[in-house]
Amino acid sequence: MLVAFCLSACAPKQKTPLVVFAAGSLIQPFDEIEKAFEKNYPDIDVQAEYHGSIQVIRHVTELHEPIDLVASADQALMPMLMYQVNIPGTNQPYANWHIKMATNSLAIAYHADSKYSSEINPENWWEILSRPDVKVGLSDPRFDAVGYRQLMVFSLAQKIYQNPNIFTNFLKDQFTHPIRLIDMGDMQIIRIPEVLETTRESHIMMRGSNVALISLLEAGEVDYTFEYESVIQQHGFKMLKLPDNLNLGKPDMDTEYGTVTVKMDFQRFASVEPIFKGEQIIYGLTIPTNAPHPEQAMQFIEFLYSPEGQAIMEKNAHPLLLPAVISGEANLPERLRKYFQ
Amino acid sequence: MKTRLPFGFVIAASLLILFILLPVFVTFFSTTLEQLLETITDKDVAHSIGLTFLAGGIATSLGLLFGLPLAYILSRGNFPGKSLLMGIVDLPLIIPHTAAGIALLLVFGRMGIIGGLLGKLGVYFTDSLGGIVVGMMFVSLPLLINSSREAFSSVDIELEHSARMDGAGAWQVFWRITLPLAWQGVLSGAITMWARGISEFGAVVILAYSPKIIPVLIYERFQGFGLSSAIPVAALLLIVVLILFALLRWLARSANSS
Repeated sequence: MLVAFCLSACAPKQKTPLVVFAAGSLIQPFDEIEKAFEKNYPDIDVQAEYHGSIQVIRHVTELHEPIDLVASADQALMPMLMYQVNIPGTNQPYANWHIKMATNSLAIAYHADSKYSSEINPENWWEILSRPDVKVGLSDPRFDAVGYRQLMVFSLAQKIYQNPNIFTNFLKDQFTHPIRLIDMGDMQIIRIPEVLETTRESHIMMRGSNVALISLLEAGEVDYTFEYESVIQQHGFKMLKLPDNLNLGKPDMDTEYGTVTVKMDFQRFASVEPIFKGEQIIYGLTIPTNAPHPEQAMQFIEFLYSPEGQAIMEKNAHPLLLPAVISGEANLPERLRKYFQ
Repeated sequence: MKTRLPFGFVIAASLLILFILLPVFVTFFSTTLEQLLETITDKDVAHSIGLTFLAGGIATSLGLLFGLPLAYILSRGNFPGKSLLMGIVDLPLIIPHTAAGIALLLVFGRMGIIGGLLGKLGVYFTDSLGGIVVGMMFVSLPLLINSSREAFSSVDIELEHSARMDGAGAWQVFWRITLPLAWQGVLSGAITMWARGISEFGAVVILAYSPKIIPVLIYERFQGFGLSSAIPVAALLLIVVLILFALLRWLARSANSS
């Protein structure tokens, strides 16, 4: 107890903690933002954690952790998992506004030693990635946005390359419980089982989030992995860009992207059934209604949108979406209003 | 005369025992019998427990095969650099386990010195039983080696000498005299190594996220599906391990008294 007391009280100067939970793909720019922010606000201690985008929100809504700022790689998760869910004992939702913060595009990351790296191109990638001797990374679609988005790409590819077997060829026999694609003509539904484990002979390596796959790509454990373009550029990997109608990065293609939907075959969340519809990748940023330090969180957002913050994001190949679009604008805190009008 | 203990010691000791037992009991009582039954019949949990125990068993067997000679050398040999060697044996105890996992990945990964060579033969360590065994073995070896070394050292060296005078070879002396006398310490070292091995998370998860051993499965369920999904698995594992552990301890004791 004495130790605990000392740990909490003997620290030289009390700093206000600012707990930030963000998508793994934001780790590099946000790490720099954190350092610059702390230099400007020496009395605030930013405590950042990075997870898959679904996990980031679950820490707020299901693990009930006190979190000040949430940044998710899929802004659609916020209305779905935070607006609709009330904080226990209140009739307030976990969030009722969010900023559409940035975009991104999906691409394939690889390195010079990746198998068939001299052959791969935008026309044949799906065939090369389905070869049994090629190791491909997949972040867990149950927890991470890259995961379900990668599955969407394989489904959309079937129409674009006019080959109805692309999805199956990549995923068949790779999991102990299969991921299924239900083709309804103009709509495709991907169903994810509750237990998702690769088979022993699988050429797919699955991890909880795409950040873990970066290390495996560096170590040569996987030949290719799907990743956001910003992250590939930050790490200097080789990048195979996907066509616009596949990379989920273009603003005017939601009707095409939207032909595919990912559903979970199980009750994952207490009150909502998550359905992920194909659409342009847009990151979301919000302060949970029950954030312990909302003022500091607003200072962080202000800093992010300051010229210095914008420059850091740009340097990391992840520019902010400007002018920012607000969802639930009526609920945006007064203090932030002047920035986002 | 009865030993008198300082009263403060008794309080301190009781608090510490409570510190160990309380979390174990709370985990038990946080799960219902129904959840527990459901978990027992969960194929993935059963498979994971089997895999975990098997990998721990292989790691311990390899530890015995290579570790007993080393422990014997350390106990009997007198040579320069012996304390350095003992320090090396202890190294895995002080290396953070995630760092150990990364170090092992660099050696046993597809591009590693050993992993790259064996990969040509189709033997891979990442996401495979081999990787699990390597991770468990690395972090738990010191427990077996140190316990065995102490057990060998406690065997009266005169007994070995007289056996040698009676014409027994070095191998015979070890096999017939030293090991039978030291085997309780060796077994207890093996049990602790196995127990430490199966509880390993950090080193294993970096090499092999899947197939999922029980610590990884519990973590995945906690992260992905919440506390209520993780508790029954944790409780079940505690029960199974406590039973096995008690059984093994009892075996070691009864073997000693007979």
